[in-house]
Amino acid sequence: MAFNGNFMCTTFKKELMFGVHDFANGADTFKIALYTSSATLNASTTAYTTSNQVANGNGYSTGGESLTNVSPTVSGTTALTDFADETWGSSSITARGALIYNSTPNTTSISVTNPSVIVLDFGADKTSTTGDFTVVFPTADASNAIIRIA
Amino acid sequence: MSVPSLNLDITPTFKVDVKTTENRGFTPEEVAERCADKVISISDTANPIIRDQARAFKTHLIKVLSFYMKEAIKSDRTTVYNALSNAGHKDLAELIRRM
Repeated sequence: MAFNGNFMCTTFKKELMFGVHDFANGADTFKIALYTSSATLNASTTAYTTSNQVANGNGYSTGGESLTNVSPTVSGTTALTDFADETWGSSSITARGALIYNSTPNTTSISVTNPSVIVLDFGADKTSTTGDFTVVFPTADASNAIIRIA
Repeated sequence: MSVPSLNLDITPTFKVDVKTTENRGFTPEEVAERCADKVISISDTANPIIRDQARAFKTHLIKVLSFYMKEAIKSDRTTVYNALSNAGHKDLAELIRRM
């Protein structure tokens, strides 16, 4: 079992300082790709990879799906951003985790292709059978939002 | 002098939820519950009076959302029915109408 928790990728933190990522709605395109339990994804993951991704077909396309960004906001002294839930409809998918990455980063100050943002560990294999496979993001508040700067 | 630092890590309790179905899509009630979870977050440690009111409101919200989702589905099926019917697929249109 190669997934061992949720991680904010270390290179993502550095890239924030280079202004690589724009989370405003309609700005950069963030994608979510699904992976099998054989994938090795953690805080050291620097970019999107096709290795051990869920196979193309049966409702899943290699590279994953584009997420709908919710523009960053603040709650108290915490800045946060969120994504809309993502559903693969009419699919037969088994996935253990996911990688959110930026497919249109700002490369003015740093050369990166599909830089990674967050590794998500589903905790166990999740399976849809000719049904829906939905990743549900947590409530967008100062305590739960997927990306928060406190 | 201490320098304020930014905290950007995922907390150990963070959990992303995955919901799946077998041989069907999500029901309006299931989607409504997801929607309500996005709108209302209730802490277990909140004042019991406020917490109970919030939970009651959330239950009501799920019922209202479910009803209007069913209305939207019905209305969309009418649109699909007409599209299929106008394209000459009367049998298929009738199948959709009876769903």
